[in-house]
Amino acid sequence: MSRVKATVDFIHAWQHPDEIADEVEAELRFHVQMRTQANIEEGMTPDEAQLAAKLSFGDFDRIKVSCCEIKRGFPFDLKALRMGLCIAIACVAGGFSLVAVNLPHHSLFGVVWQLSAIAILMCSFLIGRRNNSRRHD
Amino acid sequence: MAKSKAGLLQGTLDMLILKALSLGALHGYGIGQRIAQISGDELKIEEGSLYPGLYRLEHRGWVQSEWDTSENNQRAKFYKLTRSGRKQLILEERNWERLAGATMKALRAS
Repeated sequence: MSRVKATVDFIHAWQHPDEIADEVEAELRFHVQMRTQANIEEGMTPDEAQLAAKLSFGDFDRIKVSCCEIKRGFPFDLKALRMGLCIAIACVAGGFSLVAVNLPHHSLFGVVWQLSAIAILMCSFLIGRRNNSRRHD
Repeated sequence: MAKSKAGLLQGTLDMLILKALSLGALHGYGIGQRIAQISGDELKIEEGSLYPGLYRLEHRGWVQSEWDTSENNQRAKFYKLTRSGRKQLILEERNWERLAGATMKALRAS
């Protein structure tokens, strides 16, 4: 699944939870029907076949809820996203720092620019540290 | 202890689903049948547990699904392996062989 499709599916799952639940239910019902049919072909009565199919399937509602939850799950690796964010912020901070060292230090603009670079670097450092500590948890 | 056992079972089920789909696109019921067939009916999986596994694999991008018509003319959701799923299967097969080999070695040690 491409990242674009994963994102579209994720948004769709949150926008139309009932549609997702119906789709999951239809899929699970198809399975129970197929098993029932197979049981009938093996010689069971329709009632026996259906009961046996339901028993061999397991807890229908729990499985349905579980599938819906997976479908609504965030499609990206949060650690990788945080790491990407951290690198992006560090790059921005680097750019700010490069400009800051070339600005006159006595002007207000230069001071604001330098403070911004320091703030962005601090953010990058904090996110990186947080990401690292979560990885070790 | 229980946690590691569940993890191993979940990983094994995922690998079996990927293996079943490596032989061609199937719906959920068909995957269960194929796993039973390729394991010589040795592996019995609670049928419903296949679906959270399938959704998880789809979520990771290892399988993709689409609705189509089944062999008995009913609407069914068919799954097929993606390129990354095929790579993952090769990886899991290698890991499994290494683990099984190491376990056998340990069991045979006198």
